[in-house]
Amino acid sequence: MADPRVAGYAEALFAVAAAEGDPSVVEDELFRFAQALRSDDSLGSTLADTGLPLARRLQVIEDLLGSRASAVSTALVSMVVGAGRTAELPAIVDAMVERGAASRNKTVATVRSAVDLTADQSERLAAAINTRTGRDVEVRVVIDPSVLGGVVTEIGDDIIDGSVRRRLNQLRESFR
Amino acid sequence: MTNRRNRLLAAPLLALLALLAFAGPAAASGESVGSCIAEKLEELIEESGDLDEVLHELHVDTSIGDHFEKKCIEAPSPILPETNEIIWGGAAFLILFVLMVKKGFPAVKGAMDARAEKIRSDLDAAEQARVDAQSVQSDYEARLADAKTEASRLIDEGRADADQVRTGLITQAEADAAGIRERAASESAAAKAQAIADLRSEVAGIALGAAERVVQASLDAEVQGRLIDAYIDEVAGTDG
Repeated sequence: MADPRVAGYAEALFAVAAAEGDPSVVEDELFRFAQALRSDDSLGSTLADTGLPLARRLQVIEDLLGSRASAVSTALVSMVVGAGRTAELPAIVDAMVERGAASRNKTVATVRSAVDLTADQSERLAAAINTRTGRDVEVRVVIDPSVLGGVVTEIGDDIIDGSVRRRLNQLRESFR
Repeated sequence: MTNRRNRLLAAPLLALLALLAFAGPAAASGESVGSCIAEKLEELIEESGDLDEVLHELHVDTSIGDHFEKKCIEAPSPILPETNEIIWGGAAFLILFVLMVKKGFPAVKGAMDARAEKIRSDLDAAEQARVDAQSVQSDYEARLADAKTEASRLIDEGRADADQVRTGLITQAEADAAGIRERAASESAAAKAQAIADLRSEVAGIALGAAERVVQASLDAEVQGRLIDAYIDEVAGTDG
């Protein structure tokens, strides 16, 4: 069960995104920012550093998202960082994305790949997952170089691993 | 002067008579020779009436003294005593005999019986002591034999125990040696297997590192796209 505080922030972010228009765009922008925050420890520590003036940290957010994301997404990230919940931001965004998918009667499928998927690949992958599991999913791509090649899909507790990394690990195990 | 000489001569004569009288005659009449001679002298003195004359005759004629002595010494019967002596002697003998039969003989017999009984008892005691001594000796010899047997048995048992301990120690030592050899072999095999596993892992790591670098170098955008497409087909179940 999700942390009530995380769930509360996620519900608030989704409500703001829905009030401002199409929430899926905001969800996608926040999802990508959360993945960047996960992969870059220095970014997370900078935004969580209360020794830095809030204006400085908000300026960092503006510099990162100002030209790449909507004003709503930038404002929501600034709000969470300003509230001192930078460490919980990835979990809040995950909950918000799941909340938005649920509002559309879908499930989030987190796809990790070394390279970004094209829109066509995302649609075909969503259709393939639907064919295999019977669930409508929204594909959220996470760029993960450790995958090397191929794709790893996580739907809830289910994992479909088709990465080159898994093949190498299997080869390593066969040597033992 | 003559009386004095006669008195001097009478002195040894009286001494002789006293000696003969107290020495006792051979006769059994109870009258001594001295008293007999004295009686004869008294009779002679009474017949002559003069002591000096009798002494003078005795001095001149020594045969008179010899005659007196022979007459007094010779008993009436050398074998048969006087009748009264026989009576008194027989009575005394009878009394003494009766006393001896009634009192003395039983006492002596009792003493002899007691003595014999005591000797028999002493002999029995000595025999019993001898038997006891033999029994003690037999018991001692039996104990000695038992002690020797026990000592021999203890020696045999000690020797057997020592042999058993020695055998056990040898067996244990052999088992320990075998265990040590087995452990050494096992440890050697384990070390060998571990070394092989380490080597294999090391080789696998090197090979996989090289393979990973080759894969990374070969994974360009086109290959990545094909891998993603292949994955989508696999998930959809259309990869044949």
